[in-house]
Amino acid sequence: MLGYLAARQAGLDDPLRLRRAESTRRVLGLQLNPDRDVDRIHGNGINTIDIEAIEGRYMLSGGADGVIAIYDLENYSGKSQYTCKAVCTVGRSSRHVHKFSVETVQWYPYDTGMFVSSSFDKTMKVWDTETLKPAELFEFEGNVYSHHLSPIARKHSLIAVGTKNPKIQLCDLKSGSKIHVLQGHRGEVLSVRWSPRYEHILASASADSKVKVWDVRRASGSLLTLDQHNGDKSKASSEAANTAHNGRVNGLCFTGDGLYLLTTGTDDRMRLWNSASGENTLVNYGKVCNESRKRLQFTVSRGCSPEFVFVPCGSSVAVYALHTGELVTMLRGHYNNVDCCEFHPDYQELYSGGKDCNILAWVPVLRTSDVEEESNRENKVTGGQSSVNPALQDAWSSDED
Amino acid sequence: MLVNRTEQLLGTVMELSQRDRLSDLVEELTTSGQPQLNHDKMKEVKKICKVSNDCIEHVYHSLMSQLNQEHAEIRLSAFQMASELFSRSHHFRTLLVDNFQEFLELTVETDAEQPLPPPKEVARKLRLLAIQTVQSWQASYGSAYKKLALGYHFLKQVKKVDFQDVEARTVAERRRDEERQRKMERIYKERVEAATKDMEETYQDIEATLTEMESCMRLLLPEFSLTDIRTANEHASDDEQPCCSKDLRDDSKEEKTQDIEESTVKERKENEGMTEEHGSHDEEVEDDQKRDGNEHEDKQAEMDVAQGQKDDEEEDDSEEEEIEPADEDLFIRNSGLISHSYSLDLNLSPGLHVKETDDNEAVVSTVIDLYKLITTKHLPAVQGWVQVFTKSGAEQQLLRRALDLKRSLEAALEKHKELHIDYKTRDRKVIMAFWDGEDDEDDEDFDEVPEKEGYEPHIPDHLRAEYGLDPSPSTSTAPVTQKKLPAKRPAPPVPPSYSSCLSRRLKRLAEEEQDPTSVVATLRVLNKRIPVPTESSSSASGQGSSQSGTDQKPVEAPVVPFGLDLYYWGQEQPNAGKIIKSTSQHQFWVPAEVEEEVDNRDLLAESKSRYISYPGTFTPVSHSCRAPLGNGKLCQRQDRLKCPFHGRIIPRDQEGRPCSKEDRLREEQEERRKREQQPDWRDPELMRDIEAATGEDLGSDRVRGKKGKGKKKKYPNLSDLKQHTNTSRSRLEKKVFNKSSMRRVAEVMNKADIRKHDKYSNQFNYALK
Repeated sequence: MLGYLAARQAGLDDPLRLRRAESTRRVLGLQLNPDRDVDRIHGNGINTIDIEAIEGRYMLSGGADGVIAIYDLENYSGKSQYTCKAVCTVGRSSRHVHKFSVETVQWYPYDTGMFVSSSFDKTMKVWDTETLKPAELFEFEGNVYSHHLSPIARKHSLIAVGTKNPKIQLCDLKSGSKIHVLQGHRGEVLSVRWSPRYEHILASASADSKVKVWDVRRASGSLLTLDQHNGDKSKASSEAANTAHNGRVNGLCFTGDGLYLLTTGTDDRMRLWNSASGENTLVNYGKVCNESRKRLQFTVSRGCSPEFVFVPCGSSVAVYALHTGELVTMLRGHYNNVDCCEFHPDYQELYSGGKDCNILAWVPVLRTSDVEEESNRENKVTGGQSSVNPALQDAWSSDED
Repeated sequence: MLVNRTEQLLGTVMELSQRDRLSDLVEELTTSGQPQLNHDKMKEVKKICKVSNDCIEHVYHSLMSQLNQEHAEIRLSAFQMASELFSRSHHFRTLLVDNFQEFLELTVETDAEQPLPPPKEVARKLRLLAIQTVQSWQASYGSAYKKLALGYHFLKQVKKVDFQDVEARTVAERRRDEERQRKMERIYKERVEAATKDMEETYQDIEATLTEMESCMRLLLPEFSLTDIRTANEHASDDEQPCCSKDLRDDSKEEKTQDIEESTVKERKENEGMTEEHGSHDEEVEDDQKRDGNEHEDKQAEMDVAQGQKDDEEEDDSEEEEIEPADEDLFIRNSGLISHSYSLDLNLSPGLHVKETDDNEAVVSTVIDLYKLITTKHLPAVQGWVQVFTKSGAEQQLLRRALDLKRSLEAALEKHKELHIDYKTRDRKVIMAFWDGEDDEDDEDFDEVPEKEGYEPHIPDHLRAEYGLDPSPSTSTAPVTQKKLPAKRPAPPVPPSYSSCLSRRLKRLAEEEQDPTSVVATLRVLNKRIPVPTESSSSASGQGSSQSGTDQKPVEAPVVPFGLDLYYWGQEQPNAGKIIKSTSQHQFWVPAEVEEEVDNRDLLAESKSRYISYPGTFTPVSHSCRAPLGNGKLCQRQDRLKCPFHGRIIPRDQEGRPCSKEDRLREEQEERRKREQQPDWRDPELMRDIEAATGEDLGSDRVRGKKGKGKKKKYPNLSDLKQHTNTSRSRLEKKVFNKSSMRRVAEVMNKADIRKHDKYSNQFNYALK
């Protein structure tokens, strides 16, 4: 650490290096922090969360009970103990609430004044954050599993929507209509994701085990279909040709730079693809438990030198090193399946929501200095326990001697 | 730091022994099977744990492994240990809270697919204890251990564990209850729907039946309804009078023509009539009101009869008073009656009576049909609906409707009951409007007579007079019979008109008896002289004579059928047992050699033997086996020579011991031998099962003796889980699903299949294998 600082001072290092090192350190120190709580709003499992990119202050969450909540993550109180308050909610009492489970929520990438939610009630709503009323309503024939707004698009304002129908719908926010359909999948589309690098590139994951990459300017078909065997016919059985997984593909995530694409499937595998060539990089992450019938929302860290993947794995969140596939740690805190997690790039915090109705904040633990440690030890020896929570102390009664 | 290290190094050496000790202690404590932990051992554990965190870690891991055991008692003890340590050590808390999900799964049953292991009782206790403990932990450590708080909230909000609920029902249980509830509701709903539909369908039917019944009753009794009665009452108020007074008048008119002699007889009868009248007077007054309605219908008929219409009830009372002996002359003078003892015939009907006549036959039969329809079909159906509706808590309206239906049906039945329609007379097709007090001699001739077919073994007392017989076989005086009459026939309410006409006839008879020229008088004299043997006595005597006849027969030689053996009695039978084959009857063709006579031993024996039935007498066995039985009694079998259970019958003393020494010895030997080879039903396993089921001691412990010692349970204190699985079903399963037997069956079936394939290989479905 001191070395990094010295090098930075001397101007030897790129400023990014220090930042990356520190970020990485913080990510590795992620822990469930008793000082950080998130309000319990949802009476049912939490399907999706999203943190806005502009300020990094507000977080959206959508629950299986149809409720949408907005939390304030910023701690201005100055105390370490902080509970993320729900700023506003679209509760069950609201007239505009989704009837069924909310599957995806997403902030409008350029403004917190608007967000989009889609639900199993076959609708997608564009909300005005101020009034908490839908500004636009899109209706579909089947359950909506996922939608996505391009985070970088300047030339279009399209929302890609994956529904029970194998066709991917493209909805234009400008005109408020469904303007385009992408055909090619044979199963329900569980997840769609725009590339953070090219604004017209879209990836989609479907229950037919295929992952396709589209250029929305091209009407004829998909650009690529990811193949887990990289076109090696000898390994693939006839029906497994051009499949990304051996089960439903329900998770999709680009890396921060958009160069790589991660997919998860119900075959308990996670795969890393080169998003440009569609090549399977064959990184072995081991078994990634995945029983979800719906979309799985997972995320990749940003700004760390080896990047990390946070992927829900049963009732815990697994942290893998992106390129080596090494399991760094398991974040165990949920008491039921975890459905979504979102990385806060500014503070290197992770938020995860699960079926146990909790949103847990995983906050980096600051390393206590050695000096402090020693003084603490001394304190213990002398019996001075004033500074420490009595609940953390041993309580051996004397009669056990 | 350095000092610490060395201390730790030294510690590890020491700890090795401590670890072993800890493992032993944990195992001992968790497998004790006791609901409470052993204090001394627990203290020792704590003492060792206090030394270092390594020990705590060791204990933690061994406890977790014990918690994973599929035995609720082990888990309970492990949980108790964990909670003891949890409150003591911070390190233990961090360890446990880190793995709190699994801990909850193993103790509180948070995962529905991972239920707590048996035994159930202990599992329930464990869960209850765990929930309570988690709550107390949350209270004291929740703020410091985030995951603990999360777990607590998880239990509270997601698993909906009610921490106040003493029962500590989990969601699974509650869901099961709810499911049951829902199921019941669904069933009820179905039933209600079915009942509603049924009711809709049948409603019209029932309504029709009711109206039909109503109109039938109207036809039978035109003013049956209450309003009619009231209006009728007003009409008839002026000529209201009890029927008895009318009877009185009619009778008294008759009586005038009769002899004074009769009066003594009548008086007695009348006294009875009076008592009877008193008894039923209240009832009658009520009936009167109903009857009055009809009375004004009969007014015309009454008008000519009742010249003294003015005398009403008061007069009736006065007349009753007059029964008391008074000065006869004065009485005659006052009343103009010759005798002051006059007959008071009371025509009392206990209610309404409708009799079938030719006129209303059709109506009555309809009523009968309707009555049957209501009692057998409609009423049970309606009652069923009411039951369904009340049970399921259905709509009030439905219930009310069903209840209304029920009420009206019951009302109809009640009315029908009040009518007292005589069904028994249906064969005669004769009906009498009996209920009104009209005293019509002609009507009374149509008395109710039970149907008879030819010979009548028993002539009812009240009809004997008609047959010219004595009122009863035993007694000959009329008054006694009269007294007996009501007592003898209490069941069918005898219409008092019977008694009136009967009494008149009896009076006449008594009269005739006085006349020596009459048949009756002669008969009586004869009766007195010769006691006529009763039916029963004659039959008895007949039997007696036949019996005595057989007894008196002299002992004769037995008669046996004549046979060959008798024919050749004392001689050699010439052709006995020989079959003679007749030579061919053919004219010229003769078989070469034919043995004409063939000996047959059976035939020979047959012709010489004779079956004679044993003529001797059967002498019953007077002795019993008297061998001692297991229950302390002696064998009561009375076999002649040999008891099927205890062998040859030998003389035995009071306690059942054989009297002779060698017998005793033999018996002892036998017993010893028996004891050595246990019969298979005394299989200790089986016996233990039976004992467990019946709760009786069959002595399995004694039997077990040899076998039981071989295998010793590892943890004798834990309750045996396998015991529960050792049911008849599981044992059968063991036999049936035995691998070898399965293979055998499969082989046989395969063979059969293969045969088919060979046989019908030309058929397409067998050609394919």
